[in-house]
Order: sequence, then structure tokens, then C-alpha cells
Amino acid sequence: MADGFKLNVKNLTKAFVTKKEDTLVIDNISINVKENEFLVLLGPGQCGKTVLLNMIAGLLKPTLGDIYIDNERIKGLDNRVLMVFQKLALLPWLTVTENVQIGMKYAKVPKPERKKIAQNYIDLVGLQGFENSYPHQLSGGMKQRVGIARAYASSPEILLMDEPFGQLDAQTRYAMEEEILKIWEKDKRTIIFVTNNIEEAVYLADRIVLLSKRPATVKNIFDLTSLDRPRNNLSGEFLEIRQEIADQMDLDIG
Amino acid sequence: MNLLSFLSLGLLILLWMAASNGENSFLPSPYEVWMKSVSLSEKPIAEMSMLGHSLESLRRVFIGLLAATIIGIPLGTMIGWNKKFRAIFQPIFEIIRPIPPLAWVPLISIWCGVFEISKYILVFIGTFSAVVVNTYSGVNLANRDNISVGRMFGARGVRLIVDIVFPSALPSIMAGLKTALTTGWGVVLAAEMISAKSGLGMLITRGSDSNDIQLVLVAMILIGIIGALMSTAFTVIERRLSPWRTDLN
Repeated sequence: MADGFKLNVKNLTKAFVTKKEDTLVIDNISINVKENEFLVLLGPGQCGKTVLLNMIAGLLKPTLGDIYIDNERIKGLDNRVLMVFQKLALLPWLTVTENVQIGMKYAKVPKPERKKIAQNYIDLVGLQGFENSYPHQLSGGMKQRVGIARAYASSPEILLMDEPFGQLDAQTRYAMEEEILKIWEKDKRTIIFVTNNIEEAVYLADRIVLLSKRPATVKNIFDLTSLDRPRNNLSGEFLEIRQEIADQMDLDIG
Repeated sequence: MNLLSFLSLGLLILLWMAASNGENSFLPSPYEVWMKSVSLSEKPIAEMSMLGHSLESLRRVFIGLLAATIIGIPLGTMIGWNKKFRAIFQPIFEIIRPIPPLAWVPLISIWCGVFEISKYILVFIGTFSAVVVNTYSGVNLANRDNISVGRMFGARGVRLIVDIVFPSALPSIMAGLKTALTTGWGVVLAAEMISAKSGLGMLITRGSDSNDIQLVLVAMILIGIIGALMSTAFTVIERRLSPWRTDLN
């Protein structure tokens, strides 16, 4: 077993079996993630990134393979792993602060403490003043901040982010990318961030795991820790690595 | 209600006036009906004012609907959530649903006689399936992402159903209750027409038996107005109780 890693994904395989046909989506993927690392899973659309993330989150059972946290095998949902969902998935009947408190509520954190922690993260993502707003009253970027605050507030050790900025306009997207790095630097966690956007991956990642088209396998791993942050997406180094990845990346299938 | 709504109501009354204007009219004029309702307030029928009869009908519909809600929402939730429950109960509902509530009148008269309880049971029968069916389809179609979020953040079992699934299904459940309210109102009046000592439905039968068409019309108008008011009140309360719902505005 590979020691010293926060999370190990070992020989993970997922096939969806129906009466008509079996579809192999994830083909024998192994990934090791370091503690407090910002790891980006980069792959073309529909390649199975979300399936992979859902398995790590415990929302989906692998067909084969295992997942370990701190060298301990996990089965299904685990409170050390939380997800920031692609489709926001804020509960529309709860206010911002209630949404942020939801994990602590089920963890039976006492109410005053819950409120304090929630406020801390609401402030951190810059949503003070919107505590009692409902999700439908917020913009796309603000909703995404709530999603991040909600995951952080339950103090998971590993944060999974499934194309969290995919549905935002370019301007908001850049701002949120900067924001997430700021938050992560202030309050370090292990982050696994999924995207199909090369520029976003190069801007954010400590390491990039490049996935192939479906069935997804690991094509290559890029270590970007030598690239200083904040990164300039027009610098020579940035463009060079971006091009290198682009040359190796599969095209979207249909 | 805006100006057009008032105009259309005014037009309806004008048409009514025109239709009742002939020499051998079979339709009493709005004026006659108005005078009838004034005289009714001085000379009650069955020792009860118009308000009293209206409240009688309302009481019956609320008791029947309350019972249908208290039993129907938990049952519908279980059917929507649990596949075995669904396999057991769904065919029963599909068969009972098309039977009109009034078809139960002979059976219920044999079981319960003509007492108060038979009206409650009829309203219950008329509203129960709307509550159950809307609840289970709402629960069954509850947003999968919401459920994933709930499970991921630690909601399990009853908490998951009460905190996550139920609010997700609320729009559908409320739509079911609204339908049930309207249906129940219709059922109670029909039941009263068949046999009752009070209620707006009874007034219609009384008017019909004594050839008092004015009385029939007074009762009909009250039924319409009260029905519309209930429906409006329901929407207002629904909006108040769920400020997060964007589909209500």
C-alpha cells in the first residue's frame, strides 16, 4: 500500500449493466492524492469524471476496486469526504445559513456553535448580508459560494468539486477560481476538482490527472507545483504546459 | 382581481338580468334572488341562517379532508418511497380512484345510516386518493440531487424523508390538497342533497321540492362564492408558508 497519501483510489472500475448492454465507464483507475493537495481531474466531456467522483464520494458503488482514506478502506458514504455539486444542489427551502449548517445539524453540533461556524464560512466566501436569503434570490456565482461554504462548514478532510464553475459565465468563473484558491490557502483541505477546461486546470492544480475519453483511464499526470501562484494565464510557462496538455487530451465524444 | 375580472362578473350579472326579463321566465331575476336572500336572513330554514348552513357544509368538508390528509400524506409518502409498498397499494388505488364518490352512497347508507359520519366518510373517499396519489408521485419524483445532498451531509432514514424528501415533494402535495379541497366541496354538497338536515346542499333539495327556485339560486351562488374564496385563501396561505417557492409567483 502506498503510504503517506491522504486518499488512494485503487484499480477503480465502473460498468453500468443493463439488460441490453454493459457500458464500461471507468477502466481500472488508480490515483494517489497527498494531504492538502489541490488535485485536478481533467478529462473530455462525458468521459466519466462525475462517475469517478461519485464513487469517491460514496454515492455510487464501484464495480471493482477500492478507495482508502489514511490507508483505511472506506465503504460508501464517509463524513470525511464531501462534495460541492455541479448542479449547485442547494436545498431551495432552506436559507443560506440553514443550507450551510445542514451537515453540522446532522452531526448534532450544538446550535450556537453551528451558527458561529456557518457565519465564519459565509464571511469567508463573501456572502455576509445574505444569510437569510433563499437560493432563488442569489446569482449563479453566489449559489456556488454557498455550496463551497456548506461543504467547508462540515469540516471534511477531503473536498470533491464536480465542475463547480461549469455553468457560470466566463467573468464570474475567473473570479470564482481565484476565490477558491484564496479559501483553500486560508483553510487547507485536500481538494479533488473535476473539470473539462484545460485553462482552469492549469490555473488551479498542484497536480493534474489527465483522463482519457470513455472508458476513462489515466493518460498522464502533470506536476505543476513548480508554477508559482497566483498564476498568469498569459505567461510563457502557463501557455507551454497548457499546450502540452491540449496535445495529449482526447476530444469530446459526441 | 383586476378591473377586467370585475367587468366580466358584471357582464355575467347583466346577461342574467337579460335572460330573466321575459314574461314567462323560468329564471328568477338577480333582484328576486337578492330579495330572497334578505328574507332568508329574517326567516331561517331548519332553524339555521344562511351562514349557519354554509358553516355546516364547511365543517363537513374540513373534517373529511383533515382525515384524508392525516392518513393520506404519510401513506402516500411510504408508497412513493418504498417499492414494496408501491407494489402493494398502487393497484388498489388505481381501481378505487375511477369510482365516483357518490357511487358509495348506497353502501355507506347501509353501514352508517343517514348520520353525520356518513358525510365525513364520503368527503374522505372523495379526497383521499387525490391526496395519496399526489403525495406519492411527488415523493417518487423528488429531486435526486436533493436526496444525494441530504445523504452526503448525514441525513438518514426518517430525517431524510422528513427534512429532504418531503419538502422536495411539497409542491405536488399542495397541488393534491388543493384539488382535494375543490373535490371535497363538491362531494359534501352532493351528499347533502341526497340526505341531510342542514347545509347548502340540503337547501337546494329543499328549494327543488317546494318549487322555490330563488332558494336554489341563493344556495348555488353561495356555493360558488365560498368555493372560490377557499381556493384563493389556499393559494395565499401556501405562498405565505413557502416563501422559497418560485413556482407560486
